[in-house]
Amino acid sequence: MQTTILLITLVLMAATLALILRAVLATDGPPPSDTAPKTRIRLLWTLVVFGVVLSVATLREWPHTSAGSDSMVVNITSGQWWWETDTTEIPLGQQVEFHVTSDDVNHGLGIYDPDMRLVVQVQAMPTYTNKVVHTFDQPGTYQILCMEFCGIAHHDMAYEFDVVEENS
Amino acid sequence: MSATDSNPLMAPTNPHAGIIKSTMLLGGVVFLLMMIFGLIMRAAQGGLLELDPTLFYLLLTAHGAGMVGSAALSGAAILWYFCARHLDLRGGIYLAFLGLFLLGVVLILGAIFVGQYGGAWTFLFPLPAISGGAWEAGAAVTFILGYLFIGVGFLLYYLELGLKISAKYRGLFGGLGWRYLFGGSDENLPPPTIVAASSVLVFNTIGIVFGAAVIAANIVNLLFPDFVVNPLFAKNATYFFGHVFINATIYMAVVAVYELLPDYTGRPWKTTKLFIGAWAAVVIFVQAVYFHHLLQDVNMPAWTLALGQIISYASGVPLIGVTVFSLAIYIKGSGLKWDLPISLLVMGTVGWGIGSIPAIIDGMLAVNKLMHNTQWVPGHFHIYLLLGEVAMAFGFSVWLVKGKSQEVMSGLDKLVFRAYMLGGAGFVLIFLWSGASSIPRRWAVHYEAWQLQSQLASAFALVVVLATTALVVRYALGLLRKA
Ligand code: HEM
Ligand SMILES: [Cu+2]
Ligand SMILES: [Cu+2]
Repeated sequence: MQTTILLITLVLMAATLALILRAVLATDGPPPSDTAPKTRIRLLWTLVVFGVVLSVATLREWPHTSAGSDSMVVNITSGQWWWETDTTEIPLGQQVEFHVTSDDVNHGLGIYDPDMRLVVQVQAMPTYTNKVVHTFDQPGTYQILCMEFCGIAHHDMAYEFDVVEENS
Repeated sequence: MSATDSNPLMAPTNPHAGIIKSTMLLGGVVFLLMMIFGLIMRAAQGGLLELDPTLFYLLLTAHGAGMVGSAALSGAAILWYFCARHLDLRGGIYLAFLGLFLLGVVLILGAIFVGQYGGAWTFLFPLPAISGGAWEAGAAVTFILGYLFIGVGFLLYYLELGLKISAKYRGLFGGLGWRYLFGGSDENLPPPTIVAASSVLVFNTIGIVFGAAVIAANIVNLLFPDFVVNPLFAKNATYFFGHVFINATIYMAVVAVYELLPDYTGRPWKTTKLFIGAWAAVVIFVQAVYFHHLLQDVNMPAWTLALGQIISYASGVPLIGVTVFSLAIYIKGSGLKWDLPISLLVMGTVGWGIGSIPAIIDGMLAVNKLMHNTQWVPGHFHIYLLLGEVAMAFGFSVWLVKGKSQEVMSGLDKLVFRAYMLGGAGFVLIFLWSGASSIPRRWAVHYEAWQLQSQLASAFALVVVLATTALVVRYALGLLRKA
């Protein structure tokens, strides 16, 4: 997923840059034609229409998934500089709703899969409980890393749990 | 083509030129110093040097506050300089602004390097008060008080702009161009610089007031820990202030492009209805967009998160469709001769536009779930700061010391320009790659699997540092030559 995002971003950046440079480097060529204002209006409308489509397409299904009825709740508390959870074993394929909070400052719950890819995150805040839902479909050892700067041991806030196949 | 002689209000006759030149020298030197801090941090992440994490976070705090501060200072200097072409500004106000700013800097530096305050430039409540033993409440109060002085200085600065604009253009609505936009006559139409100044002073004043509110709440909480602040409210106010303030730096600096590009192209940058409309949109968008910092705060009402995503995209539309597009058509076929100032100014505008793309993408909820607080974030903002605001600031600086006769790029200028651009591009692209590799931001120590990126980035950063050193030296020599 992240690789796709990176590639799309780079392509968009390169394409935009190429378009701009075509005009900016053509200082000695002909001046812009009389249709330039029209081109601009067309560009603006294209951007607006594309924006509407993109917004509807990406927000219609709300990206913060809500929990199904058979989800498992895992409570996570954070503090300077530790994590504490109900369990360190989560069944494979199980939908989990994490209830995340903090005892002191803001932290960030970042869940990393066995390949150290970030798969889901949510903020951890004092006096609030933040919920985030994720279904684990790859077994192995996962890491929780801190995603919100929380002081001098921010980078040491790591914790492990396992996603295990149930052999019932 | 040089209008250097056709414009009656050139550098030597601007009554504020002296103090603005000194400000830009100060800004340039601090930019350079902070870049060196940045290089040290990136090298430490790459395991290229041994750095105590405590010191890393002090440098991170200094780099964040110092860079944002220098961007604000250089942006303010640029805006003041060009507003003085249209308004009769009082030099004493600028001096007071500068004095308060410097006082703030002294407090901030003292808090960091004497008081060991390492809670980052965003001072997110309640971290200043709960340091885990790293610093005392006094250091945090000192740091935040430093901000307060800078904020007061800016309020004074904007008040003077507001008064003078209102007097000359019949109120702020006149200065914003809204009267003309809504069917008024085009007599006494404000030039682009005044439209920009009016817009920035409106939204940044609001931003600073929210900043002051959260600063006050933090200070009271630091002195009386029983005074509770709602952490979600504090987060909103902090990011509102932070977002608006850092964006204002670029919106102030871009007036250098409005004012200087016409000298090179012979085509004046005009106040059109589209231009006014774009700035009106900016005034709204720049305030409503800060919700994109809170996309992982699921206790926020859902509509705020949707708004954060939608306005992030919408903010890019006037930037690309109006500012960057105008830049392109003003330049195309104009016969412009590239020298160092205009090359840097154009790079800054283009970099700003391109940098908005990864920002917009990260502003999407689905993407943010995977990219928030990874190095993707410093990736996108270094594009429109390093290759945006700072490039504009150096472009303006070297223009200030430009000789009367049109200079073209010397071989050395070309080398410095390319080194800055390519070094910067490599450096920021690696941040994006690091973000896509799930490397969290603000980590003093990187796992071994992450270090290759940090090492490559350090090499690019070194090139930027060298190029910037050359720019600062070139500017300082220019000042000496002119003096
Ligand atoms: C050679 C040039 C530069 C280098 C090597 C550099 C390096 C860095 C590094 C390593 C970080 C921390 C990344 C992380 O979170 O892991 C950082 C953060 C940051 N940089 Fe830079 N930087 C440079 C230029 C700039 C410029 C020109 C600006 C703005 C004008 C800037 C503003 C910031 C800000 C605001 C942060 C965030 C601080 C925080 O997270 O609290 N940097 N930079
Ligand atoms: Cu933490
Ligand atoms: Cu943390």
